Amino acid sequence: MTRPFQLDLRHIGNGCAVLAVTGDLDPATAPHLREQGQALLADGPVQLLLDMSRVDFCDSSGLSTVLGLWQQARAGGGSLGLVAVPDRLARLLRITATDTLITVHPAEDLDRLTTSATEPA
Amino acid sequence: MVPQRLGASSAGHGRDTPVPVPQDEERRMAAVRRYDILDTPPDGAFDRVAALAARLLKVPVASVTIVDEDRIWFKAAHGLDGVSEIERDPGLCASAICQDGALVIPDTLLDPVACGNPLVTGAMGVRFYAAAPITTSDGYRLGTVNVLDTRPRLVTEDDTDTLADLAAIVMDELELRLSALGAVGAEQRRRQAEAERAETERKAREQAERDTAAITEFAATLQQTLLPPVLPAVPGMELACHYHPASVQQVGGDFYDVFPLGGDTWGFFLGDVCGKGATAAALTSLTRYTLRAAAHQHPDDPVAVLEVLNSALLLDPAVGTRFCTTLYGTLTPAGDGVAVRLGGGGHPPALHLAPDPTGTGGVRVRPVELPGAMLVGALPDARFAATTVHLAPGEALLLYTDGLTEARDTDGELLDTAGIAAMLAARTGPTTATAVVADTVAFLTGLPHGIDDDVALLALGVPTATGTGVATAAASAGSADRR
Repeated sequence: MTRPFQLDLRHIGNGCAVLAVTGDLDPATAPHLREQGQALLADGPVQLLLDMSRVDFCDSSGLSTVLGLWQQARAGGGSLGLVAVPDRLARLLRITATDTLITVHPAEDLDRLTTSATEPA
Repeated sequence: MVPQRLGASSAGHGRDTPVPVPQDEERRMAAVRRYDILDTPPDGAFDRVAALAARLLKVPVASVTIVDEDRIWFKAAHGLDGVSEIERDPGLCASAICQDGALVIPDTLLDPVACGNPLVTGAMGVRFYAAAPITTSDGYRLGTVNVLDTRPRLVTEDDTDTLADLAAIVMDELELRLSALGAVGAEQRRRQAEAERAETERKAREQAERDTAAITEFAATLQQTLLPPVLPAVPGMELACHYHPASVQQVGGDFYDVFPLGGDTWGFFLGDVCGKGATAAALTSLTRYTLRAAAHQHPDDPVAVLEVLNSALLLDPAVGTRFCTTLYGTLTPAGDGVAVRLGGGGHPPALHLAPDPTGTGGVRVRPVELPGAMLVGALPDARFAATTVHLAPGEALLLYTDGLTEARDTDGELLDTAGIAAMLAARTGPTTATAVVADTVAFLTGLPHGIDDDVALLALGVPTATGTGVATAAASAGSADRR
């Protein structure tokens, strides 16, 4: 069984935001991710990290949303990365070659990523 | 003793006396009609009143009559077999309803009016008559409760009181009956109204069903424009396809086609646009026509075809942030088989089915990976990939959309490409396009959780020289298999 959809802002500050996604990313839930992601990116160059470790399912609408956020982040001078991607989502990213565009970080890199963002560029 | 002619049977009534008519005859008749009693079948309550009257007054004949416009109708008759009505002749009932209180004629032969009545002069030879009018609460005399005898009689005041009581009982009975009729009428009207409402609802429901059917029809028609009705016959190949829409009322985003590219080369594609409904249908349409046009521009370069599609989708403002995933390729005869030049953009890998080379009768299933092939229409600088697959006789290539791989198995787990490959490897039937599609459809149909998404299947097979379906095209399982 999949978990109820949920978005948790795990960290924000110093130009980095970590948004944890739980449950299914599908046509019903993807708009919520788009909305919150866009709001986080709207404040200027932001390194947005999506913690995907608790994503049970992601279809083309979820992928479309992630790609849209990635484009918005790049256009604004920021970036978007995925953290702790489950196997199935990793296959989807590979099939669609999205992993050649969007950086996928292992779970253990999360601490380093959020602290390094605090260092001056 | 009471006056033997109670009330006034007015003087001047004689043999030729016209029928006495109450002053308010018109309204009296309206009252008669209001109770709706004339010509109704016998009724135990009225029969008992007549029998009671005869017994109480010790006479052979008693009746309950209603005086109609031109007749006297017997609602109940005791001792009068086979009489249902008589003429409205003066003297007896016709006169009784012209006065308040009882009319008593001890000897009809002595009464100037009654002596001319046919009941008196006729075979019945009535000599005695006494009647109490049946009077409505608003004063209309509908008829009488009366007693008759063939010999003169005298009656007591008790007797006339009894007749009056019985007439009152009859009146009560008529009132009850009327209110029951009213209730029945109200019930009938309620039922009729209910039936009319049900009819209205039925019509509305039928209309809604027609609307739904129209929408379904529209979606099906639109879908048919997005899918070829029947796959063409490709020489040296056997093709099969299947389309399962998740909803009959919504156009899905899956598409496929097979078409000639001149010479002995054929183009084909199968894909899936992001989303459903009208926007997805527009995107599907744009994708199909762009692929077919680009295929003629770049017949030998699937990557170039996908790049054209990518640009077209990015240029179209209606497409928005939507994209598609697709496999596009060409088929060209090569030796005794077919060379498949296969390009992809973000689509799940096609499955190459070949008989196990060890000759055990099994099937080897290999996903045709296209690493680095991106989604089509998502990014301006997207990269695509292509590869070549050789289909020897007895081999087939199965293309599918993610509705297949996103179906769930018995444990609720996503099948994924690995699950489909395992299912295909385990099957024992021939590796013909038709059999592969039929078995895949049967497998999907048997899944416990059903299918939530559209599923499109396209199988391209090369028949063995002795195999089935040589050089035929089979739109097996229905290219328009709509459930």
